[in-house]
Amino acid sequence: MLGRSLTVVLALLPAAIGVLAHGADLYVICNPGVSISKADIRDVFLGDKQFAASVKLTPVDNIAAQALFLERVLKMGAAKYSIAWTKKSFREGVNPPPLEGSDAETLAYVRRTPGACSYITMVDTSGVVVVSRY
Amino acid sequence: MQPPTNIRSNGTRNWVAALVVLTLAHPVASHGATADADRLTVLEKKLDQSLQMIRDLSARVHELEAQVAQQGTQPGRGSGEVPNYAPPAVAKADTTQRLEAVEQTVTQLTAGAAQRAEDPGLPLHGFADVGVGNHNATFPEYKLADVGSLDFFLTPRLGAHTRALFELNFEVGDDGSVDVDLERAQIGYQFADSATIWLGRFHTPYGYYNTAFHHGQQIATSLRRPRFLQFEDQGGVLPAHTVGAWLTGSKRAGDQRVTYDLYVGNSQRITDGTLDMNNPGNTHGTTIVGGNLGLLLGGALDGLKVGVHAFTTRIEDQDRVPFILARVRAYGAYAAYDTDRWEHIAELYFFDDYNLSGQPGTHRSEAGFAQFGYRAGSFTPYARYERAALQQGDNFFAAQTLGSSYFREALGVRFDVDLKSALKLELAHTHDGDRDFATYDEALLQYAIRF
Repeated sequence: MLGRSLTVVLALLPAAIGVLAHGADLYVICNPGVSISKADIRDVFLGDKQFAASVKLTPVDNIAAQALFLERVLKMGAAKYSIAWTKKSFREGVNPPPLEGSDAETLAYVRRTPGACSYITMVDTSGVVVVSRY
Repeated sequence: MQPPTNIRSNGTRNWVAALVVLTLAHPVASHGATADADRLTVLEKKLDQSLQMIRDLSARVHELEAQVAQQGTQPGRGSGEVPNYAPPAVAKADTTQRLEAVEQTVTQLTAGAAQRAEDPGLPLHGFADVGVGNHNATFPEYKLADVGSLDFFLTPRLGAHTRALFELNFEVGDDGSVDVDLERAQIGYQFADSATIWLGRFHTPYGYYNTAFHHGQQIATSLRRPRFLQFEDQGGVLPAHTVGAWLTGSKRAGDQRVTYDLYVGNSQRITDGTLDMNNPGNTHGTTIVGGNLGLLLGGALDGLKVGVHAFTTRIEDQDRVPFILARVRAYGAYAAYDTDRWEHIAELYFFDDYNLSGQPGTHRSEAGFAQFGYRAGSFTPYARYERAALQQGDNFFAAQTLGSSYFREALGVRFDVDLKSALKLELAHTHDGDRDFATYDEALLQYAIRF
């Protein structure tokens, strides 16, 4: 009985998570020491803007919300995003954003890292500044 | 008899735990096959961290279940003999919400652990390509299969302002030997987005193609570079590399972005008919000086970059005594349109060179190409026309092995096998002028990857 229930749950879980994630709000957040505008977000995550005043920016990708971020904010697919960063690295020696695995880890990283910016789907945004909500 | 709420909670806990174990077990099994000790160590550490968090979360689930059970068994809430386990509506909703949050966190955590384990965390990248054809794409005197190049580039993570880029390239020369080039070795200080100063050896920032693709064959649509823009040791007639200093940056202006490059470095020499960038310095202290000014447009013209460029240098031919000298003055313009659907590139170069020895005089030469590509899913058909009209009275071109005029017409198609590999097929017709007046047709296939 439990095994059958588990099978059903496992089968439905990805779809359910996808539905939940698609409907979720997305918050672009930064460490409190960072001051950027909504118009800067695209440049920050594509490596064209690396400084906010004197602060070196550290964009971070959140695997759990990356698909949502690419769709809503950068308006590009994962393949194009990957190629864009390959070209950027090759041409200018700029490294792509490091990866975090969940909202909680991303939030913790942004809180403790000066210059960090990322995006999450959770409502808890204490200890960071919200640049924009999508 | 177990209360219904507890049955439901136990079931939830069980499948959450099973899901966690299943998900975590997958990357562990996959990485066991890699036999990569470093990655395994990193993975184990991440898994330990993940398991610890899962244990904490499980404890929290137990705590919440206990609270639910306690609320359900409080006196006065039920009939007395049969406990009423239904909590108040608010508390139930709160518990459900918390459980969902826990489940979402666990799901994200495990999915993230699995994906991040695949990130080596080492900024080492590269390109490689191999090919086959009725001619070699670079050295047409050879036929059948060939090794193109294996290119590594490293971008170490340094401080906030210091940057570095190193590129090592292995390629087969015209004598069949494998040559190793320190393609780029540049260390820079980034003052701001608008200014980075690099020192070392870098790709000379003229035009668009030379810095946009260079050895990155997988990110280029076409199978090869235009011939006059080839690398110095593969027949190119321009100094593709410079050893010196390079100031570069960009500045956004509304929807548009202005880019600039200013550089100064060792002037090049010609040895064995090939341009050499004088890696250790040059004997006479002469320099190459140049610049590039570009504009990336936005709005309806998003994806379009236009620009102008120029450089001047004094070239020595060290194979002759006295040295044959030429003052090279090159300038030109370019446009590149790169969108999801189109990739068009056009570049023009003009040369007003002055002979400093031998027969004096100024010589005007021209070169250019236009390439049009259409991205249709995994296929990108393209067409290119390139032409160089190089004056043979110009010491600069006369001293180079492939410094003759030519034109080439090419039709090709690129097929993206997957995100990181591409197959390219090109049919080309080339006519050499000035020296041998040879004409030949090519059918070329290339497999290019990036990693």
